[in-house]
Parts: sequence; C-alpha cells; structure tokens
Amino acid sequence: MAVGSLAGCASPTGGPPPGSVTLGLNRSLVSLDNKLNQFDAAVTVQRAVRQGLTRIGADLTPVPVLADRFELTAPTQWTVRLREGIRYSDGSPVRIKDVSTALTMYRQVSGSYIAGFFPEWPTVVPVDERTFTLETKRPLPVLDYLMANILLTPASANVPEELQSGVGSGPYVVTASNRGTGEYTLRRNNNYWGRPARVKQVQVRFVPEESNRVVGLRSGEIDIIDTITPDSADQLSGQPDVAFERVRGTRINQLFYNFRKPDGHPLSKASVRQALSLAVNGKRLADEVLAGSAQPAVGPVAQTLNGAVPCGTYHYDPRRAKQMLEAEGIADGDLRLTLIWETGEFAGDTSVMEAVVQMLGDIGVRVRLRQFEPGGNISEWRQGRAGDWDILGNGYASPVGAALPILQGMYGGTPERERTRDTYQGYINREVLTLLDRAYAEVDAERRQKTTARIQQVVWDSWPSMWAFVPNSVLAYRTRVADVSLEATNSYQLARIGLEA
Amino acid sequence: MITYVLKRLGQSAFVVLLTVSTVFVLIRMAPGDPATALAGPNATAADLAKIRTQLGLDGSILSQYLTFLERLFTGDLGTSYSFRAPAFDVVIDRLPYTITLALAAVALTAVIALPLGIWMSRRADTGREMGANIVTIAAQSMPEFWSGIMLLTVFSVLLPVLPSSGFTTWPGLVLPATTIALLQVALISRLVRREMVSNLTSPYLTVARAHGIPERRLVWGYALTNSAIPVLTALGTRFAAMLNGVVVVEVVFNWPGVGSLVVRALETRDYPLIQATVLVTAALAILVQLLIDLMYPLLDPRIRLGKATAR
Repeated sequence: MAVGSLAGCASPTGGPPPGSVTLGLNRSLVSLDNKLNQFDAAVTVQRAVRQGLTRIGADLTPVPVLADRFELTAPTQWTVRLREGIRYSDGSPVRIKDVSTALTMYRQVSGSYIAGFFPEWPTVVPVDERTFTLETKRPLPVLDYLMANILLTPASANVPEELQSGVGSGPYVVTASNRGTGEYTLRRNNNYWGRPARVKQVQVRFVPEESNRVVGLRSGEIDIIDTITPDSADQLSGQPDVAFERVRGTRINQLFYNFRKPDGHPLSKASVRQALSLAVNGKRLADEVLAGSAQPAVGPVAQTLNGAVPCGTYHYDPRRAKQMLEAEGIADGDLRLTLIWETGEFAGDTSVMEAVVQMLGDIGVRVRLRQFEPGGNISEWRQGRAGDWDILGNGYASPVGAALPILQGMYGGTPERERTRDTYQGYINREVLTLLDRAYAEVDAERRQKTTARIQQVVWDSWPSMWAFVPNSVLAYRTRVADVSLEATNSYQLARIGLEA
Repeated sequence: MITYVLKRLGQSAFVVLLTVSTVFVLIRMAPGDPATALAGPNATAADLAKIRTQLGLDGSILSQYLTFLERLFTGDLGTSYSFRAPAFDVVIDRLPYTITLALAAVALTAVIALPLGIWMSRRADTGREMGANIVTIAAQSMPEFWSGIMLLTVFSVLLPVLPSSGFTTWPGLVLPATTIALLQVALISRLVRREMVSNLTSPYLTVARAHGIPERRLVWGYALTNSAIPVLTALGTRFAAMLNGVVVVEVVFNWPGVGSLVVRALETRDYPLIQATVLVTAALAILVQLLIDLMYPLLDPRIRLGKATAR
C-alpha cells in the first residue's frame, strides 16, 4: 500500500531529510522526457537525468554536453563528435545509434512538441565510432540550438512516446517515482561521466497550488519553488531564509489578433490593429497590473533570444487611436470585440484582460471577455472551429534560445498549413516566408542575422499583437541551498546546487 | 442474510453501472478535447486526429460506449491519457491516501462528537449547552477551505510544527483530518445530542429510572445504544462520501488522494481516469453502506435484514 511506504526519511514536519533538497513543481512531471511537452521547471529535472548533445546555456547559446564537437562543416552538414567515455547510469556507453533513434522517436510521436521547431529532420551518418554528421537537404544553421531539445536514451529503450522511466546519462538517477502523486526521488549518479552532483538526493514534489508552494517554502518543507507570481514574491519578500533569483525570460505573452478575419473586417486592416494598440496603456499594465514583473515587448520575440532585435515600442495615445479608427469609418460603439484566453496563461491574466476592456472602452470599443478553464476547448476556438474571436491572450515559450526558430514557429504559417488551421492564429505573410527561407538557407552568420532582423521588423510592422510583454522568471529558494543559478530558460543546473554547511 | 447481501450486491452493481454510464455520456458532452489537452502546444490538426484515433475517440459516443462496456466486463478500464498507465491502477494508487484521510477524519469526529453530544444532551437547554451549540454552529458554518487555510497558517507557518502539504510523514495527516473533522464534529455532536435527548426523555427510560437503575447506566447503556443507529448511519454516510474524494481539503493540503486526482483528470479530460475514479469510489461507497446495514442487527436485534421490522 502506497501509504505504507511514506518517505520515511523526511523530517517530522515534512521538511527535506539531511543532505537532501526538495523541489516543489507547479506541474506534475509525469515523465522524464520532453517529447510531448516541456514546461520550464521540468527542464531542470529532466536534464538532470537525461541529456542532449548540447544544451542552451546561460547566455542562450548552445553549450556542448554529450558532444565535444558540434560544428557546421558544410552548408547542409554538421559534424558532431560524442565526448569520450560518456556512459549512461547503467554503465552502457552512449552510442551514435542512440542519436539517430532519438531523432526518429521525437519525429514519430504524435503531437511532438519539438517538431514545430525543426524545418526538417536531420539524418545521422556515422563517420567513426564517436563521430557522425547530421545531414539536411537545406541548410539548417540553428541545428545546434535545436538539438539541445533532443534528449538521449539507449536506442533499445526509446519509443515514440514520453518515457516514464529508464536510464539517462545525467548527474542524477531516479530511484523512486510515483506518477500518481507526482513525487520522484533522484540520487546522485555515481557513474556520472562529468563532475558529480553536489547534493546527494533531490526530492521532486508536485504541488499544483501556488499558495501551497509558498507555504511549503516558508515552513521549510520545500527548498525551491519556481515560476512564481508577483503576489507570491511579495508574500515571500522579507522572509528570513528565503532568497530570490530573477532573470529576464524568453517567453513572450501576447494579446494576439485573429488573422482569420475575412477581407473587409476591421481587424484585417493593419491600421485598425495599430489603432487598438494605441489604446492600451502598456506601461500601466506592466508596472501596476503586473507589478513590475514584466517588460513591454519591443519586438515580436523576447529580446533575450539570440538574434532578437528591437523593432519599436508600444505607444499609448488614445486620442490618436480614436482618430485612426474614425479615419477607417469606425465610430464610437461600432467595434465590438471578443477577447479569449485560458485561465493561467500568464500570471495576472484576468487582471490584464479586465484592464484592457476598460482601456478599449475609453476609445469606444466594446470588448467581451471569454475565459476558458484549463482542459476546456480553447484550442477549438483558437482554430476558429468552435466560435469566432478577435483577440487571444496567449503565451509562447521559446526554449531553443534563438530568435529564428521562434519566428519560424509563430510567423512561418503557409496557406497549406492554414488549410488544417495549423498556422499561428491564421498569420500568413508572404514576405516573412520568403525572408525565413532566405535566413534558413544562409550559412554566413552575419548575413543570416541581417535577414533575421528584417523578418522581425516586417512582423512588427504588421501589428500582429495589440500588446505583448516579456515576463521575468522568478524563483524563490531557502538560503540553505547554495548556487541556485536561474537561467533565461527559467531552469537551472541541478547538479551545480549545493547545501550550506 | 446471504440472500439479502446478494440482492444488495446485485442492486449495487446496477447502480454503479448506471452511474458510470451517466458519467461516460456527460463528460463527452462537456466542452474540451482530450487530444488537445494531451498533445503539445505545437500539435497540428493531423496530430490531433491521429491522437483521437489512437485513443478511440474518433467514433460515435454509442460505439465508444459499447467498446467501454466490452472492456469493462473484462476488467479493463482503459489507459489514463495523462499518466499513460492503466486508469484502475492510478486510482488504486491514490485510494489508500483518501481512505487513510477519511478514516482519520471519521475517527477524530467520533472521538470528539460522541462525548460532546452526550455532554450537551445531559445539559440540554442550559447556558453551557447553548455555549457549546454556538461553538459547533460556528464550526459548521466555516467553509473547509477557510478553516484549512487558518489551521495551515497557524500550525505550518506561524508555528511550523506540522507539515503544510502532501503526505510524506504521519504528522501530515493531522491538519487535513482536523479540517474535515471540524465540520463533521458539529454535525454529529448535534445529532447525538438530539437522539440522546429524545431517548433520555422517552417513557422506557422514565420507567427504568423509576426502577432505580443508575443514571450512568441509563445514559451509556440504554440511551446511547438506542441512539447508535442514526449516529452510525450518519458517520458511515459521511465516510462513504469522503471516499469520493474530499476535493477541497485535498486541494488545500495538496493531499495526493482521489479528490485531487479527479480534479486533475477533469482538467485534462482524462476520460478513462474519470470513469475509473467514479467506478471505484461509487463501488466503495455502496459497499460501505452495505456494511453499515449489516451492522444494524448487531445494534438492534429487532432488525432483521431483508424482512419488515417487527412492531
């Protein structure tokens, strides 16, 4: 019986046992694999167990992990060499076959999270026992970024679905897990090929309610909680033995327009989209509603991403907004919009939406809010299958660290993909598609960056979002834990953290 | 007796099937799509269609229901979409946590409510009883989420002596069980008081009292025994209801039981898990009710199960 196997090593008040660190995750880990989903906190744990050839480092550039060489040797070819002596926790060596199998499994899984970032899947061609090439039909200059998301598992144990168990090559091994309760115990991998983890044991707990995570941290039951809201940060600030890590994030949250509107609809005109944007007081939203926990976006992707460039700023000018609407023949009360979003899409989402209703109301635009609960049918709405909408409150994670794949994922919609409603809210821009093709085909980094910058400007000038912002990532931890270094990807290296003496 | 039990079990099986069938239809009529909840954010329409086919959700509700029934009778409740494990096993994993919490809460309720109810009945309509009444009514009026948060604030945050969430140590049971018991004590103690007052003022006790039987024996031996059936029924009914998951308390204390599981299953539209939870908990609740019924003859020999009670 599960109850009979209570974690006997926990202290009477539920605190972490000696020499152990407890993490409180807001979502259940469910698996130690990222084929279908990759929420930020999971990255920390998943990569402590399984590793990729590269990882996205603190400066959002690829850092070699299982590869000691990963370089572009021809426009359509990357040469990769596996590090010498790398082994899985069961002692078996990491082989080239594990890479090719992993790519196949990530490609085959239905609803692959990673697939959208790969314009094409590379083919693995072995050169010698440790060296291989990754071949593509067209140049894929960001492959070193993309491969950071492919975690390796022994080929014989990999399947085209999320892996619930099994071995990895990381600094920790899973010694106990209960998917039902979302609790995992990780122990230091004594066969680890690299520098051993400093903390002997890590307990991973699933604590869905933020208030519970905050109380758990205050009482010392939990050592680290991540992705906390400004409200929780306020509650915890000033608490003894609690410290924070804050970094600028890579995620962008948007009030995105519906680009599936027919010609003649006001929102199909960029000038109307711009006018509505002028009615939104972004500074107040960022400073007051979001309590300074976010910065208004200055481009179509977060500026932390490599290759991101500032393209402009959101101005607040309701008088001009009204004039622009009138110039388009839209009088007070003529325009009625529906704003949809899913609860929890971002911290303070409901407050932001309510403030936007007020701001648009000031220029005579009526907005109806439609809030969906998680698990509801917002996806069908987004695709325009369940009902019509005008603005979507949405967040877009950017786990690959570079701007180009994110621009491809969000703005690379084609008419073919739109037939199955697989574009990003119907956004199709032929100029952007041409530029994306050019950027991906460009091997020269400088010229590629120039094109990437141009793509961002073209997207920005098309007014895809009424307003957008980049939230900070905030993590809180007990000061008994040392060297928690939150990275822009909202994750940290578990093996690096230690315990104060 | 055996005939009665078999008859009740037959009725129970029908009730469970009806309940599960109703839930089967209702969750499919509700908005939301398991494929969307399951697929990653970048899933294409083709991916979603493939997932629906894999999950067997591409047919009509009737064909899905027939498949469900066919599997049900072979003991297969399907695979949980979110846990990727047999739904029955996932529920069984969580059930001990809920049973433990329910047992602790009922035991705590009985230990406090029975003496309190008797004490109140012995002091009926006095100032002290009125004071106790006010306290129990106040406890009954407090929503569980509020009393839970208050207990948590005091005992986990201000005086960090008890765990605030989860069930990693036995002290972790104290706060959630107390939160549930607070409400139940109020209800049960008032029921005990009412039954005891009714019995203590009944003619048979007046006669017994006239025969010189000691008051202590009248209270504990006669009145309490005759009050036992409604009290046992109330406690049993509440225990059975708790087996369906004490959702609010489980969420407040992050208790890894059936209640928090069902919340998650509903959020992810995990049909097999919802169905398995309903089936297991409904069956258990009915079984508990049956056990309570079987105890009646032990408490009152006049009761003979399956036959009209002798007048």
